[in-house]
Amino acid sequence: MEAVARRKAAAYVCLSCTRQFQRQIRRQYHNAAPRPDIYDVVCVGGGPAGLSLLTALRANPVTSHLRVALVEAQGLSKVKSWKLPPNKYSNRCSSLTPTSAFYLDQIGAWEHLDQTRVQPYHEMQVWDGVTDARIEFDWAPGSALVEGTTIAYMNENLNLTSGLLKRLEQLGGVSVFEGAKVENITFGEETENLDLRQWPVVHISGGKQLTARLLVGADGANSPVRAFAGIDAKGWDYNRHGVVATLEMEGEGWGEEHMKIAYQRFLPTGPVAMLPMPGKYSTLVWSTTPENASLLKSLSPKDFVAMVNAAFRLSPVDLAFMHTQGANQDDEYSWRLQHTSFNPRAIPQTVVGVQDGTVASFPLKMRHADTYIGERVALVGDAAHTIHPLAGQGLNQGQGDVQSLAKTIEHAVTHGQDIGSIMSLESYVSERYTANHVLLGVVDKLHKLYSAESGPLVPLRSLGLNAVNALGPLKSFFMKQAAGSGTKLF
Amino acid sequence: MEYGLIHAETQRPDQSREEPQRACGPSLSIRHYLIAQCGASVRPILAPADDRPSRSSPSVTTQRWHSNHNNSTPPSSSSVNPGEISHFNALAATWWDPHGSSRALHLMNPLRHDFIQTCRSSSPTSSFTVLTEDSGDEHAPPSPDGPTYSTTANVQKLRYLDIGCGGGIFAESAARLPTTESVLAIDPSPGVLAIARSHAKKDPSLSPKLTYLSSTIESLPTLKPEAVEKKFDVVSCFEVIEHVDHPALFLDHVAKFVKPGGWLVMSTIARTWTSWFTTNFMAEDVLGIVPKGTHDWNKYINEYELRGYFEETEEKRRFWGQPRAMGVVYVPGLGWKEVPGSEKVGNYFLGVQRLASEDA
Repeated sequence: MEAVARRKAAAYVCLSCTRQFQRQIRRQYHNAAPRPDIYDVVCVGGGPAGLSLLTALRANPVTSHLRVALVEAQGLSKVKSWKLPPNKYSNRCSSLTPTSAFYLDQIGAWEHLDQTRVQPYHEMQVWDGVTDARIEFDWAPGSALVEGTTIAYMNENLNLTSGLLKRLEQLGGVSVFEGAKVENITFGEETENLDLRQWPVVHISGGKQLTARLLVGADGANSPVRAFAGIDAKGWDYNRHGVVATLEMEGEGWGEEHMKIAYQRFLPTGPVAMLPMPGKYSTLVWSTTPENASLLKSLSPKDFVAMVNAAFRLSPVDLAFMHTQGANQDDEYSWRLQHTSFNPRAIPQTVVGVQDGTVASFPLKMRHADTYIGERVALVGDAAHTIHPLAGQGLNQGQGDVQSLAKTIEHAVTHGQDIGSIMSLESYVSERYTANHVLLGVVDKLHKLYSAESGPLVPLRSLGLNAVNALGPLKSFFMKQAAGSGTKLF
Repeated sequence: MEYGLIHAETQRPDQSREEPQRACGPSLSIRHYLIAQCGASVRPILAPADDRPSRSSPSVTTQRWHSNHNNSTPPSSSSVNPGEISHFNALAATWWDPHGSSRALHLMNPLRHDFIQTCRSSSPTSSFTVLTEDSGDEHAPPSPDGPTYSTTANVQKLRYLDIGCGGGIFAESAARLPTTESVLAIDPSPGVLAIARSHAKKDPSLSPKLTYLSSTIESLPTLKPEAVEKKFDVVSCFEVIEHVDHPALFLDHVAKFVKPGGWLVMSTIARTWTSWFTTNFMAEDVLGIVPKGTHDWNKYINEYELRGYFEETEEKRRFWGQPRAMGVVYVPGLGWKEVPGSEKVGNYFLGVQRLASEDA
């Protein structure tokens, strides 16, 4: 019977190793430290990146035998059962490229998102607030309704994490430690038969210790896993805050429900973007100075709405003046609007309301970790890089990381490599680092380019924008890149 | 290429204790063997008077192919040549360093599995296994206390014998595969095995499946023909055969351990001007990718020569199936790439299935 059990255990890589090991420990070290609880993958962080990675590993038959654990500081049951009425939208939304959406579909998570709350958009209007130079990212007339012309999907982050959690629950097999804080990360110990001195041990609140063959840091910009691995993240703060809010519009948009448009205007203080949500709703991402951000958060709904409308219509000078007023922006806006000429069809429809409690802000920064891997450590998502939101690429970069890391792990498993070894993880870094670095750099330069109010750069950038706008193929190239469906550059 | 011995100094006393010297011959690695004799006069492999790399005559595998020694009498107990320890001594510390001198070998390792998979899937008589057959979308999740391989449990698992395992790059990886039942990895050098064992300690999943033995193939207890179950589904000798003195005798020994229906897989380097230029001149002397003195070009074996061994007699042709070859090329910065036809030029794999059940 014992032999049968042992034989059977040998079929399961990790179980067997654990059991074998436990047996030895019991035999030889009766009074030694508690035997390690060994996992193949311990993922710290239950955000979109961490949950996507675990889902990908569980959904793939090649990697589904891996013993995986999730450590998340927040409670997850609330997130899983997250629900809002159709006239309420969370203020934390992200743009998902078709590539990201396709991957989520591949790992079986896309269908678990509430599709009535996902809004595809098909056109982008981007213009320079100082010179009005404009680029219209629209597909050829009539092609918008054809599949594949979606530039991206707007989606609430909670809809994504909730969908991923539902999918993970369906797949099962993940040891979830929720509401568990990472208190410390140390290395394992050496015994007579086992040398775990290079294996990370995650100490979580409650005293539990998880030993990891591969420790994944999906734990955000201030990643404790990154700190443990001694990986530095370089970059800078933009001295800008992103103001977000859920807006109610006068209508469903100029193109109605089947032709949604995303708008972005570059102001000297930073870009302001309005992105379509289902129905008459839009989400705002306004990058501005910390002072402007705190003013905007202090305004009455009526004045806030006036400021948002002004941001897409009035001149930067008018707008700057309105930021000096403590209140009554609504009156100021009505008066100044009469003296401003614009094409109403080229800008978003008028905002008529802001959803209570959705005006919030967060500081913007650029960070890039020096590498994404260490011995038995891999970083994904914001733990590896933080990007300016102006191109809506943050979450998509994380999805790209996950896809690459899951593929790397699969290759290691099928070729008998240790999934935690540097040798196995190398291809993940080489595949993702340059691509992310270029995108971080481009977005960073864009931010800086458009922060200038005057000087030689201003006419040049307008020239550039107008020139690109006039060149169909180049524009189409940019759109495909934005949609993540273009030729892979890096 | 899997150059390997280690420094006597790097062996800790307790490690040499746990590896008692077997009675079987010199404690030298099969695979690493040329080096120290670089300066010695070398006899050409196939014919004393002609050392040109390409010859049209088939190999004469039952006689000594080449020798670095004046004494050309085949040793009775071992194919191992004593003479390279000083070279490989220096490499031990970096065997498992991904950026160390064994990097090229680490990069090649996945291709070994790809090649074995290709060989096994080419034959209906070798049970082709997939990792798992479940879609991963099962509503019945694995048991919470550990992973399951519900489907692989039904598939016959494979027994591996890795000859000249060195630091265990291939042996460890073979043991990690879910389709593997066991791996017996042998190398005659206790020093090399000390490195292999201490590295294997770092992965708890290995100990149930992986066994290291300080031994040459000649001194492994011969298995009786009827002991089929004790034989091996996959017998591997990667980057070994170019380091043995008597390849034909060596292969005769190896053959006894291959299960009927099992595969013998090898990798080595063809003896051509190109391989001299790339593996000796460029890799060792110019680029330094491979430690100097690792390869003895005169001992390289061409694909047609190795293939010839398995096809030369009627008896062999009954015993072995049609050999399969795969040529690979190392591209600096990119790693190893399969290049069809390159087996005639440089590094190549050769796999052959054992057909008959009676011993040769």
